[in-house]
Amino acid sequence: MSASVAVAGVGTSHFGRQPERDLVALAWDAVREAFDDAGVEAVDAVWVGTVFAPAGVAQRVLRAMGITGVPIITVENACASGTTAFVEAHEAVRTGRYGRVLALGLEQMSTAFSGAITPETTDPEGRAGLAMPAMYAMSAARYLHSGAATAEQLAAVSVKNHAHAVHNPRAQYSGRYTVVEVLASRMIADPLTLLQCCPTSDGAAAAVLTAATGGAGEVVVRSAALRSGAPWNHRSPHVWGHDVVADTARDALTAAGLDAATDVDVVEVHDAFTIGEIVTTEALGLVPPGDGGKAAAGGVTALGGAHPVNPSGGLLSRGHPLGATGLAQLAEISWQLRGRCGARQVDGARLGLVETMGGGVSVLDGNSCVVTVLEAR
Amino acid sequence: MSSPTGGDPRPEIHRTAQGDWVVVGRRCRACAEPVAYAWPRCPACAAAVEAAHFGPRGTVWSSTVVRIAVPGHTPPYSLAYVDLDDGPRVLAHVAGDEPAPIGRPAWLVGTSDAGDLQVEVDR
Repeated sequence: MSASVAVAGVGTSHFGRQPERDLVALAWDAVREAFDDAGVEAVDAVWVGTVFAPAGVAQRVLRAMGITGVPIITVENACASGTTAFVEAHEAVRTGRYGRVLALGLEQMSTAFSGAITPETTDPEGRAGLAMPAMYAMSAARYLHSGAATAEQLAAVSVKNHAHAVHNPRAQYSGRYTVVEVLASRMIADPLTLLQCCPTSDGAAAAVLTAATGGAGEVVVRSAALRSGAPWNHRSPHVWGHDVVADTARDALTAAGLDAATDVDVVEVHDAFTIGEIVTTEALGLVPPGDGGKAAAGGVTALGGAHPVNPSGGLLSRGHPLGATGLAQLAEISWQLRGRCGARQVDGARLGLVETMGGGVSVLDGNSCVVTVLEAR
Repeated sequence: MSSPTGGDPRPEIHRTAQGDWVVVGRRCRACAEPVAYAWPRCPACAAAVEAAHFGPRGTVWSSTVVRIAVPGHTPPYSLAYVDLDDGPRVLAHVAGDEPAPIGRPAWLVGTSDAGDLQVEVDR
């Protein structure tokens, strides 16, 4: 038996550098809000997404809030860990394995890294010093070289998402920057400057999934797709990550019965770096190939534009606590579909899409990608 | 994460009798996928692989200069993805602190002091 699955409640902590708050405190903010939102006091199972938290973190955090004696499963899929937890929780409810499931993402980066994530030395390219900003910089440099985007268009993504975050009280950073200011910020990995890179963030986010009741305004999951990357090399005409996002999006859109991503009203995508949003909007089919930069600079993907992307401020501004990010994206879309986003609300949003992309394993086109489509009934 | 453990995961290189540096990798017997590593199966199709040498020549696919502190490397350092002729795409270090010009010829010149694959680029 398969059931229609509802996102009964969502919650998040504040996002930012919060080294003085432990993971219990951050997770409790998210779980308490999600439970209150869903009107529940307990769940039948929990999937937890995290990347760098220590072994046993899920049970250690959950026991503090009385969630014990139920199945708890921890998953790691790099930056897509939170949405991977969501995909698995969704499948557990859809197939009837559990009735009510919590998906929780958490990460405390500020106590682990002073700047960029230390590349993994058991990975060949990590050992050679390919930090994540450098990985994305390779894509950005290629876009600039081929004329698929300009430096100003890259910067426009940062300008847009920082402006969106002005209306998100839980965002780590926000502000009215100009393209010139973004380009003049410190160079991190050519051509990506500081304001084009996500910050070091701590935070947690959660969602409660249940069988849908059919009530008016209920947010249901139209589809949830996950893929890990195939080899990426000279055989692909695209930059890193494009193909796995395109393939996963096709899975999700087909399962949702949609013709194209352009049918969706509001989107949260993985903009860990500005080029990431440009590549992703193209790979999703939200904009034509090669138009990602133009769309950002021209307001197409801004609030009020034809295809608003990252109304929360995205990873660039809301912050990027790895394991929490996917569920923070889901919380934003859920709030958008319920009309709760105040000055960053996309008017009349009924269909929303989340895309999360995790990387760090060389040769592959991404460790994992998740695309999910939500709908307000 | 901080200190390297286990075997070195980076590509193995070898100097030929002619004095050229080549990557000692594998090629898939079924789909001809070139791989820069001595892995037991093809990562693209899972078929059997055979030993193959790649390089020394290739083309810069993209490049960057890392200007932040990364453990094990001193900024700034210049990196390039190089598509070796009829071979894999490899990550290599380039001398200097300027981005390597995309689309230009490059060739393997051994390893850097840190043990990373090193290329020279025809600017």
